[in-house]
Amino acid sequence: MGYFNLPSGVQDLLPEECYNLNLIKNKLEKKFSLAGCIPVSSAAIEYYDTFACIKNSIAQERMFKMTDRDGKLLVLRPDMTLAAARIAATRLTDTDVKLSYVSDVWNYSTSESVSQREFLQAGVECFGVSSPLSDAMTIAFAIECVKETGVQDFIIDIGHVGFFKGLLSESSLTEEEAEEIRRSVNAKDSLSVQMILSRSKEKKEAANAIMALPTLFGGEEVFARAEELTKNEEALSALHHLKQVYAILKSFSLENYISIDLGTVKSLAYYSGVVFTGYVKDFGTDILSGGRYDSLADEFGKSIPAVGFAMGLKRCLMVLERQGKLVKVPDPDLIILSEPGAESVAYGVYRAFTAQGKIADFFTGSVEEGKKYVADKKSEVYLATKEGLKSL
Amino acid sequence: MITIALAKGRLASESAELFEKCGVDASVVFEDTRKLVLTSADGKYSFFLVKPSDVPTYVEYGIADIGIVGKDTLLEQDKDLYEMLDLKFEACKLCLAGFPQRKSQLTHPHLRVATKYVNTAKRLFASRGEEIEIIKLNGSIELAPVTGLADMIFDIVQTGSTLKANGLVVLEEIFNVSARLVVNKVSLKTKADVLLPLIEKMRKEIEE
Repeated sequence: MGYFNLPSGVQDLLPEECYNLNLIKNKLEKKFSLAGCIPVSSAAIEYYDTFACIKNSIAQERMFKMTDRDGKLLVLRPDMTLAAARIAATRLTDTDVKLSYVSDVWNYSTSESVSQREFLQAGVECFGVSSPLSDAMTIAFAIECVKETGVQDFIIDIGHVGFFKGLLSESSLTEEEAEEIRRSVNAKDSLSVQMILSRSKEKKEAANAIMALPTLFGGEEVFARAEELTKNEEALSALHHLKQVYAILKSFSLENYISIDLGTVKSLAYYSGVVFTGYVKDFGTDILSGGRYDSLADEFGKSIPAVGFAMGLKRCLMVLERQGKLVKVPDPDLIILSEPGAESVAYGVYRAFTAQGKIADFFTGSVEEGKKYVADKKSEVYLATKEGLKSL
Repeated sequence: MITIALAKGRLASESAELFEKCGVDASVVFEDTRKLVLTSADGKYSFFLVKPSDVPTYVEYGIADIGIVGKDTLLEQDKDLYEMLDLKFEACKLCLAGFPQRKSQLTHPHLRVATKYVNTAKRLFASRGEEIEIIKLNGSIELAPVTGLADMIFDIVQTGSTLKANGLVVLEEIFNVSARLVVNKVSLKTKADVLLPLIEKMRKEIEE
């Protein structure tokens, strides 16, 4: 019986789940194309080196690995943003482009409570422009996309890794200590931040600013609090940039969807500017994650600024289920049964109705079986006879 | 409603006392009951009493908005959550312990260490560049060196009386651990209106 099981971390999507997931997917694809995004699809199998030998490498334990016939290592695509950056840098001539995708990514998770390993993501990557407006527009579009799926009660938490980077540049921390601090700041663990700082004997001002990071979240008032903490130019310019982004979002009347957190410091190797995360009330994990990564395409030979985000579609589906918004797979609009010899009549009817965009189910068994088949369905039922069409 | 995961046992009562001081009706935690979910009389808070090692899991998944658990458990699990306050109570130390004469063998190439903190021990010795054999035990860790199962143990030491009674001593103190307030990453943002004032009250309460 073991042969019929699936490996851990992956699932089949059964009809109702798949139907609802497709609804979300279709809504988003339409939304993407209405905003001028061009869809791309990348290969699911890529070379290991593409993801492992770059500066912003993906940890090797996170990747599903296989060996090609020539002995080279292959991986199942672990990240769509890197794949999109690779496509933009190596395959496209016009780099002022917005790409969108709905694709699976795989994570060879090693966590003890085996979670998901196959993620369906829908995302957008906007290449070419690096301005507060492009950041704000991407965040505004992310808000539209979450709304489009039907998910309610969500917020987008925004931050800027430049503020943290600026504060760090004042300090004399080693790369390792900096990464340790980043993790602790990200976990709002002030105590560990304090411990690492006291170990490395930082100057008081830099230390105080870094120690305040875990508390720098909330509404607009965060900006003023952050400004008082530092005179570092890089940090202040990051703050200024984020303020501009916020002001634009406010002018779009989207401030109710926004919270600010300067202590959200996602991977520094990857992100270079604004970062944002989508949270839904009473749902423990994020459903959307994004940010600016201006140096990511550098790895693939071209320097293109970019900002983008991806949504986890299965997570959206779980939220919709909790919020009671899933729909039932509808019965066909009509079901056509056919008497022997009247098949061509039935086929004609089926063609005519589907051409009108109706769901027409041509039942190919006997009339007797067909009557049982339609019994629990709300569809209109037609019987094709040699004399013509009868409504049942 | 705010949901709170508490580690069963003494930590739960100390946590509940702290909540009471901060204006949270946590009296249900003291009631002798077999119920798994305890809701306060005003309906504003709901408590789960779970195994200490399960507290971070409930909080990471957002089933509980906040939780109180020992730092030792957090070190071992490396979960994705906010660790916001050191509550200071249940203070103890994660130590390497063994027979006094074993002390000279700290750098022995095939040291065997018994512990229930497997991941923390792995990280500790890896950071020192020492290769060791870790033996996972679930309780009565002190028995391991006594019976010869391991050369030393890596465990929490509160008073040291169990060590002493078995002729063992602390060889090295590694981490100070105590109870921590952990918060789900989403709840902090989506329930900020209730959680932030509560966390602030708790911060003040421990500082006093």
